[in-house]
Amino acid sequence: MEHNEAELISRCQQGDQEALKQIYDLYHRKVYRVAYGVLRQREESFDIVQEVFIKLFRSIKNFKGESRFSTYLYRMAINTAIDHIRKMGKPHISSLDAEEGFQPAEEPEKRPDRIFLYKELEGKVNEALNKLPVDQRTAVLLREVEGLSYEEIAETMKSSIGTVMSRLHYGRKRMQELLKDYLREEPRK
Amino acid sequence: MKDSCSSISDLLEKYFDQEVTDEEGSLVDGHLHDCPSCQDALKTMEGLRYLIKAPIDEADQKENYYWVWQKIEKEIQREEKPAVRESIRRWLDITPLFRKKVWVPAAAAIVAVFLALAPSVFKKTPSSSEASVVEYLESQSYNVMVYESEKGNVTVIWLLEEPEKEGSSES
Repeated sequence: MEHNEAELISRCQQGDQEALKQIYDLYHRKVYRVAYGVLRQREESFDIVQEVFIKLFRSIKNFKGESRFSTYLYRMAINTAIDHIRKMGKPHISSLDAEEGFQPAEEPEKRPDRIFLYKELEGKVNEALNKLPVDQRTAVLLREVEGLSYEEIAETMKSSIGTVMSRLHYGRKRMQELLKDYLREEPRK
Repeated sequence: MKDSCSSISDLLEKYFDQEVTDEEGSLVDGHLHDCPSCQDALKTMEGLRYLIKAPIDEADQKENYYWVWQKIEKEIQREEKPAVRESIRRWLDITPLFRKKVWVPAAAAIVAVFLALAPSVFKKTPSSSEASVVEYLESQSYNVMVYESEKGNVTVIWLLEEPEKEGSSES
């Protein structure tokens, strides 16, 4: 933990809202990305960001520094997003008709046919992610989206590195099977 | 797939995730150089990562998060106000007198005592006026008493020596 971050956490533990704002500035994008990875819904992901930082302000006194603060926050974000899905009582799959979701901003992808293809593709990716057990999905998202190391994922999920590798392996394998038609055609960056 | 692929496959995913040691990395590099099958496996992993990550990167770049903080701040401040009231209530609770709920009969007893004592405390008592003066004069034929009140009115009482001629007058 960096010195500045430790100081911010300490101030926040004493109820300093300005310190919370600075922590928010450092981490809100990460929380949003994890929430969006799980939910794939823009507005609901914002709700998760809001809920996570309010929860953090209430519970930061319980943070003892035994794990990295980032993994503590990732865990809170994932648990909040998963709780949200449970409350909704149904799998979260983006509809092709939904207004929100992935719409490439750059030309020529703005062409309607390309947008439709991207939406279809995103729908299939979401569908595949939702077919994974929660543990596999979480491991895949933390690795592929946030680029966390095995050790950081293990810390976030409170599991061993071996378990993380296993979850990643089976999660990727399953997704490759479900998306095999699209993986052949996907252009590389 | 070559025979050596099976020995590399365990390392390929770690290699893709940059979790291999230098020695393991060199081993995989050497194998990939002339194994199209493992090259494809690696490309498939890259493709999957792109499919999962690209929509999130796109969504993240488009967003304006400032209003989210405003909502968080508002919510926290809204929660702080009841917290102040709650702390006052808790403070009252820790006082044994209040916690035992004896303050109602105690207050009633204080009021009853006050009402009982109030008439005697606030009763007006007459005070002798320092301005009132009584003078008594004696002579051979008459005895005279003069009373001067505090307001300046003067009362004179004449006293006759002979009982049959006793009388009085006021002015």
